[in-house]
Amino acid sequence: MLRAMGRDKASLDRMTFDNLTGSLLLLLLLVSDLLLCKSVASLPICPSGAVNCQVSLRELFDRAVILSHYIHNLSSEMFNEFDKRYAQGRGFVTKAINSCHTSSLSTPEDKEQAQQIHHEDLLNLILRVLRSWNDPLYHLVSEVRGMQEAPEAILSKAIEIEEQNRRLLEGMEKIVGQVQPRIKENEVYSVWSGLPSLQMADEDSRLFAFYNLLHCLRRDSHKIDNYLKLLKCRIVYDSNC
Amino acid sequence: MDLWQLLLTLAVAGSSDAFSGSEDSSGKPKFTKCRSPELETFSCHWTDGVRHGLKSPGSVQLFYIRRSTQEWTQEWKECPDYVSAGENSCYFNSSYTSIWIPYCIKLTSNGGTVDQKCFSVEEIVQPDPPIGLNWTLLNISLTGIHADIQVRWEPPPNADVQKGWIVLEYELQYKEVNETQWKMMDPVLSTSVPVYSLRLDKEYEVRVRSRQRNSEKYGEFSEVLYVTLPQMSPLACEEDFQFPWFLIIILGIFGLTVILLLFIFSKQQRIKMLILPPVPVPKIKGIDPDLLKEGKLEEVNTILAVHDNYKPEFYNDDSWVEFIELDIDDPDEKTEGSDTDRLLSNDHQKSLNILGAKDDDSGRTSCYEPDILETDFNASDMSDGTSEVAQPQRLKGEADLLCLDQKNQKDSSSSNATPATQQPSVILAEENKPRPLLIGGTESTHQAAHTQLSNPSSLANIDFYAQVSDITPAGSVVLSPGQKNKTGISQCDMHPEVVSLCQANFIMDNAYFCEADAKKCIPVAPHVEVESRVEPSFNQEDIYITTESLTTTAGRSGTAERASSSEMPVPDYTSIHIVQSPQGLVLNATALPLPDKEFLSSCGYVSTDQLNKIMP
Repeated sequence: MLRAMGRDKASLDRMTFDNLTGSLLLLLLLVSDLLLCKSVASLPICPSGAVNCQVSLRELFDRAVILSHYIHNLSSEMFNEFDKRYAQGRGFVTKAINSCHTSSLSTPEDKEQAQQIHHEDLLNLILRVLRSWNDPLYHLVSEVRGMQEAPEAILSKAIEIEEQNRRLLEGMEKIVGQVQPRIKENEVYSVWSGLPSLQMADEDSRLFAFYNLLHCLRRDSHKIDNYLKLLKCRIVYDSNC
Repeated sequence: MDLWQLLLTLAVAGSSDAFSGSEDSSGKPKFTKCRSPELETFSCHWTDGVRHGLKSPGSVQLFYIRRSTQEWTQEWKECPDYVSAGENSCYFNSSYTSIWIPYCIKLTSNGGTVDQKCFSVEEIVQPDPPIGLNWTLLNISLTGIHADIQVRWEPPPNADVQKGWIVLEYELQYKEVNETQWKMMDPVLSTSVPVYSLRLDKEYEVRVRSRQRNSEKYGEFSEVLYVTLPQMSPLACEEDFQFPWFLIIILGIFGLTVILLLFIFSKQQRIKMLILPPVPVPKIKGIDPDLLKEGKLEEVNTILAVHDNYKPEFYNDDSWVEFIELDIDDPDEKTEGSDTDRLLSNDHQKSLNILGAKDDDSGRTSCYEPDILETDFNASDMSDGTSEVAQPQRLKGEADLLCLDQKNQKDSSSSNATPATQQPSVILAEENKPRPLLIGGTESTHQAAHTQLSNPSSLANIDFYAQVSDITPAGSVVLSPGQKNKTGISQCDMHPEVVSLCQANFIMDNAYFCEADAKKCIPVAPHVEVESRVEPSFNQEDIYITTESLTTTAGRSGTAERASSSEMPVPDYTSIHIVQSPQGLVLNATALPLPDKEFLSSCGYVSTDQLNKIMP
């Protein structure tokens, strides 16, 4: 009994000590978090070892907005070219109400919703959408290449979009890392399962699949572009663009 | 899903109907445009097909359906607001508007679908026109004709640009009031742009329109802004500024002329040569072009001709015969005796023979071509102690001529002597290239060392001059073709006075020259008159002595004599006057009234004693 008590006491002491340490650490963490949050805008986001990497949040957002704008431009053009070349008279327009694979992500659908959502969540949403497009873009490039009379304009744009999307994703991850450094989110994204439809033997069906994919791409790129511009105004310019 | 498919087919049918029956779709209402001005609301308009009045203006209804999440709402909903957007329109406010969500709307009339359309709201964005246009004057040009203005405006009020929900870009257009064509500027993101180069006496109209970035469709134009610029002052400058071509051309020509004149009259020879290249002068090998340029044809002739004094000798058949007869090809043959005798004797002609023994010259070269002569001589192996005084002319060649030239210039006065001295060589040249030289040489040796000395032309003959190759015990000198240049040539460089003195412009090439000559040539200005006197520099090393050198040395020894012996002929040939010692040969500087002994002994080959005597 005594021994047990003794043991218990020791463990209790240990526990107390642990608790104390833990709470101290937590306190330290909170304080540091607060400090970090306060100075989030001026924290440089540089990988260790980099020399000239004093990139502020403002510049990161500026770059991200430029990239997203560029991607949306390219996808619009790509869609228009595809529409002009392959989709005329096929009545794809009316059929292209199919959902995009990213529709499952609950993104804000109007201004009110976008304003109400917290910027961190919005950032994470953007990340998810971007990640969701990695795979489809890759396959889009390879499939467009395999198309008969592979259209050079569409192919080049697809390649460019794929690359820029990757860069935007990196930039967004940097921003997220700077804005909320402690959260390490699992990589959530929507899985794209449209590859078989892109490889269908039926020309009509295949073209419709392409049309749909490009339509979704245009829409999602516009969405991301809008979100980023909103966030930029909100975070960097304090809602006063 | 079934309903949706039905809907789709209906939509297809409806749209096809709508498209095909455009002509006789009168009466059928159809959508004209759906538009969202700020990405928050949208409205759709249609036409009312009651034109033809065939159908009663039945109630046209609009139904819409939108897909949310993964599914379409099964119900078609009716338009929430038929009024706000005007007649034949449906207005969807922000609560009914979802961006990035597909919508389908249909128009029904009397229960039947007449038109259908599907879209997403972000695709139909067309912003309102900007408001609040105004302009300010930036500046007026110096000419008072043009001005720049800055046009400012405000974004459409319903577009939430401040929060960044929508980003707009603007396009400005302007034109003169009475023009018909608008001038367009590039789209800008800012709400103010400068407009440059507006004329002050004109009135302008300005309008702006906006569109969402990345979209293609512009919104409506703003109200027109009238820009009335202040009137330009009555003292405005002339409008057209013609480039003063005329003035520039005149100035250019003037400048070029000035530069050209500067060049032409400048002393810069190089530039002058570029602009006014000199006329090439005739050039004869071996003759100094300056000589010809100066126009001293006499000297030229003397160069080319045989010295008068020696002429007869030259033309002496005997000498010629002798000349020819001599077998040069026999190197072993020692004709010393005969040669030296000849040399010693006053019979110059014989000596000439020696000199002219070799006759290889087939006239292929000029007399004064040292190279050929040299080869000739060498081939003939004349240097082998033969009495051939075939001193290759090469030595002298050009140098001689050059010197001759100079000398001639100087010696024109003393042409008496010079011609004499020159003649031999000249004649030689004339007759036979190598030979005349030889002859000349020999002759001079015989006769007029002085003449030759004094004679610049003698320089040319120097090559002919025999070099003393050996001294017989009897005291006679054995002359053989000289190989060496005479110092005389170097003399040429001297100033004319000295040059004249240094007739025997010995080629410096060591052959034989008397130091005396050199000395004489260089500094002795006062003796210039003598001219022909060249102090042969005595090169002790050489056994060969040119007659020149001999003569010159002779001359040198007696500076006083020198003066008198101005017409010392080219020392090419110095007659052997005295044999002073068993080892020395005193050459008779005939032209020079010199103390021969002294002089001669010192010149050319001379024993050391004599040398010492000669040398101060």
